Amino acid sequence: MHIRPILSSLRRSPTGAILVALQIALALAITVNSLYIVKQRLDLIGRDPGMDVANIFLVSWQASNDRFQGEATMREDLQALRSLPLVEAATAVNAVPLSGGGSSTSMYTEPGEKGRRGDINFFQVDEQGLPTFGASLAAGRNFDASVVRKFERNSSDSPGEMMITKDVAAEMFPGESALGKTIYTAIGQPVTIIGIIDHLHGSWPGWDKVGNVGLFPVIADEQYARYMVRAKPGQRDEAMKMAEEALSRLDNGRVILRVRSLEYIAASTYADDRAMAMYLAVVVVLLVGIAALGIFGLAAFNVSTRTKQIGTRRAVGARRGDILRYFLVENWLVTTVGVVAGCVLALALGYWLSTAFELPRLNLYYLVAGVLALWIISLAAALWPARRASMVSPAVATRTV
Amino acid sequence: MFSYDLRLALDSLRRNPGLSALMVLAIALGIAVCTVTFTVYHAMATNPIPGKSSQLYHVTLDTWGADRPYDDDKPDEPPTLLTYRDAMYLYGAKAASRSVVMYKSGALLLPERQGVKPFVATLRVTSNEFFPMFDVPFQYGSGWDAAAEEGPQPVVVLSDETNQKVFGGENSVGRTVRLGKNDYRVIGVLKPWAPSPKFFDLNNGSFEDPEDAYLPYGWGRALEMPVYGNTNCWKAEAGNSYQDFLNSECVWLQFWAELPTAADRDRYQAFLDNYARSQKAAGRMPRPLNNRLYDVGQWLDRNEVVQRDNRVLIGIALLFLGVCLVNVVGLLLAKFLNAAPLTGLRRALGASRRDIVRQHMTEVVLLGLAGGVVGLLLAVGGLAGIRSIYGSDYNRSAYERLTEIDPTVVLVTLGLALLAGAVAGLYPSWRIGRTAPAVYLKTQ
Repeated sequence: MHIRPILSSLRRSPTGAILVALQIALALAITVNSLYIVKQRLDLIGRDPGMDVANIFLVSWQASNDRFQGEATMREDLQALRSLPLVEAATAVNAVPLSGGGSSTSMYTEPGEKGRRGDINFFQVDEQGLPTFGASLAAGRNFDASVVRKFERNSSDSPGEMMITKDVAAEMFPGESALGKTIYTAIGQPVTIIGIIDHLHGSWPGWDKVGNVGLFPVIADEQYARYMVRAKPGQRDEAMKMAEEALSRLDNGRVILRVRSLEYIAASTYADDRAMAMYLAVVVVLLVGIAALGIFGLAAFNVSTRTKQIGTRRAVGARRGDILRYFLVENWLVTTVGVVAGCVLALALGYWLSTAFELPRLNLYYLVAGVLALWIISLAAALWPARRASMVSPAVATRTV
Repeated sequence: MFSYDLRLALDSLRRNPGLSALMVLAIALGIAVCTVTFTVYHAMATNPIPGKSSQLYHVTLDTWGADRPYDDDKPDEPPTLLTYRDAMYLYGAKAASRSVVMYKSGALLLPERQGVKPFVATLRVTSNEFFPMFDVPFQYGSGWDAAAEEGPQPVVVLSDETNQKVFGGENSVGRTVRLGKNDYRVIGVLKPWAPSPKFFDLNNGSFEDPEDAYLPYGWGRALEMPVYGNTNCWKAEAGNSYQDFLNSECVWLQFWAELPTAADRDRYQAFLDNYARSQKAAGRMPRPLNNRLYDVGQWLDRNEVVQRDNRVLIGIALLFLGVCLVNVVGLLLAKFLNAAPLTGLRRALGASRRDIVRQHMTEVVLLGLAGGVVGLLLAVGGLAGIRSIYGSDYNRSAYERLTEIDPTVVLVTLGLALLAGAVAGLYPSWRIGRTAPAVYLKTQ
C-alpha cells in the first residue's frame, strides 16, 4: 500500500483530518481519566466490609415514658429479638456501621498517652456483637456475657477488655501479636485485648483507617443506642417485619422509630461515589458514541463527495480492495495522530487531576487500553463508508464528464 | 433578508437530514452534560444568605492540644467548634451586635394528632438571636426573648414541615408540643425555610434540611440534651457527669457573630485574641494564637462545601462540550464544502461574501438553538436520573434542591448553545465565504 498519495491528499485539505484527530485526542484524554476515576469508585464501593451486610438490619428507637428502665428494658428487647426463629444474633450498638456517623477514640500502648497510638473507631456491643456483625476472629475469643455492662452517661470509665481488628493490631503492635496485650485509654485505664478480628469496617467508609475498629463489651447509652440484628441468610426482610411486630408487642416505655436494612444505609453512604461513577460512565459512553458517529458521518460524507474521484480510480485499474484499503489507511493515519496527541493530553489531564484534586495518578494500563479501544472504534466507524466507497462502480467516472 | 436566510438555512438542513440530526445531537449532548454539571455545581456554590454573607462570622478559637493539630489534613486551621466555657464567655461578653451560640440535638416528638407516628424531631438548641441574625422568616408568632432565654421558659419554634405534620399546618401558636419528657408552648412557626448550603451548621452534611424545631439554649444544659453534631476531645480528662463534660476541653458548640463593618470585625478579632491570651496565661490553649473569624463564603470554603468531585466534573463536562463542538465543526465544514457549487452559483449571481457568511451562520445558529432545546430536555432527564441515584428518603429534599433546574442555568445553557453553535460555525462559514465562484461553476 502506498501511503504517499494518502499523505499528499491529506496535506492538500488537512482541516477535516485535523478535526477528526483533535476529536480523538480529546476523547482519549477524557475517556481514560474518567474510566480511571470510575474504577476507583467502584473499588471503593466494592470493598469487603467484613460484615454480613446483606442480612443485617437496624432498629432505631427512643425511650418515651417512665416505663423505660434503661438496661433492663434493653435486655428485654434483645431477648425478644433473639427468640425470633429467623434471627441469627442481635445486639445493642452505639452507632451504625457504614453509616457515616460513629465514635472514635485513641488508645496507647503505655499509660499517660505514651507509646504507640492506635486510632480506633469503636462500637459498644454485647456478647452477640461479633456474631451479629458476622465478623470472624483471627485469634483470641469473644466477650463473655458476664463482662457486658452499662456505664453511667458521661462516664469516662472503660471496660477492662476489648477486641480489635488486625488493622489496629498492626498499628499498635507492628510485627508482634497483640493478643493478650494491655493497652491504655487516654486517662490511663488498662484494657486487655482478648480477641483479634480478621477484618471489619467501621462507621466512616471515607476514612483512610476505615478498618481500624474495636469492640467494647458495653450496653450503649439509650440516647444513641440502636439494636443491630442479623437475620438467617436470605430471611432479612421477613425478619425485619417480625422484629418490628415483636418489639411493638412489648409495651415497655420506648417507641420503635425505624427498621432499616444495613444494605440500604450503606447504599446511602456511598451514594456520592455511585453517582460520580455512573455519571462519568454515562459521559464516557456518550463521548465514544458521539466521536464514533462524528468519524462515521465525516467519512461517509467524504466518500459521497469523492464518488467521482473513486470511480475514476476504479476506471484506471484500482481494485475494490485498493479503494477499501485507501480509506482505512487514511482513517488509521488520522486516528494514530489523534491517539498520539491524546496520550499527551490524557497524561496532562491526569497530572492536573492528581495535583489539583489529589486524585491518584493515572494508571498507564488505562492509557494503553484506551489507545487500543479508540483505534478499533475509529476503524469500525470508518469501515462502512470505506466499504461503500469500494462499491462505487467505475462507470460513475464516465457519466458526467 | 432574514427570512430569506432562514429559508435557505432550513432548505440546507433538510437536504441532509441525517447529518443535521447528528449535529443537533452532538450540540445537545454537549449542552446536556454541561447543564447537569453546572446545575449541581451552581446549587452547591450558591450564596445561601446574599446581602448578609459578609457580615456574619463563624467564630473559632484554637483551644486544641499542643501535640497534634485539630485537623491533620488542614494543620493551620483551628477547631471548627468551641468548648462550653469559651462559648459561654463569648456569649456573655456581647461583643458583637448579635451573637448566637447553638448546637444540634433531638428528642422524641409524640404528636397528639391521630395517625401521625412518633418521630425523633431534630432540634436546634440556640440562643434567641438566631432568628434575626439569619433572617429566618416566620409564618406565625415569633422567636423568644432574652427573658425566655434566661429561664429557660418552655417555648418552642416549629419548622413549617413540623407544623404541617403535627398540627396540619394551622396556626399552632399557643398549642403544646411534647418533646421527650417535657411540654413546650409553640410561640412561632417558620415559613418554609431551607438555606442551601446549610451554612450555619455544616457538621452533619452541607445540604441537609434545617431542624424540625428550635428550643432556647438554656434547655440544652437543663435537660442535658444529647449532641447530634460532632463532639471532639483532645485532652485526657476523667469525667463522671454532665458538669464534667461542660468543664472539659471537648469542642461541640457553634458560635456566630454579626459584625456589620470591617471595624467591628477587627475589634472582635482583637477581643478574641485578648481572651485567648488571658486563657494562655491561665495555662490553657497551648497552641500558637490562631483564632479565626470566617465570613459565610470563607466558612463554606473551609468546609469544602463544593465537593472536589464537582469541580472535576466541571472540567470534564467542558472538555466533553469541546469534543462535541469539534465534531460539529468537522461535519459543518464537510457539508458546506459539499454544497460549494450551489454557493458558487449564488456568488456568481451577485451574492456578496458577507451574504454567504450570513446565510451559513443563520443555519449554524438554527442548529445551535435546536441543540440547546434538545440538550435542555436531555438535561432535565439527566437530573432526574441523578435524583434517582440518591433515591433514599433520608435527605431526599437536599438532593432535590441540588438537582433543581434554575432559570439562571437555563439562560446560561441556551446562551452557551448559541455561542457553541456560533463558534463551531465561524470557521466553516468563513471558509465557504471565500469560495471563488469560477471553480465551482466550471464543472456544472
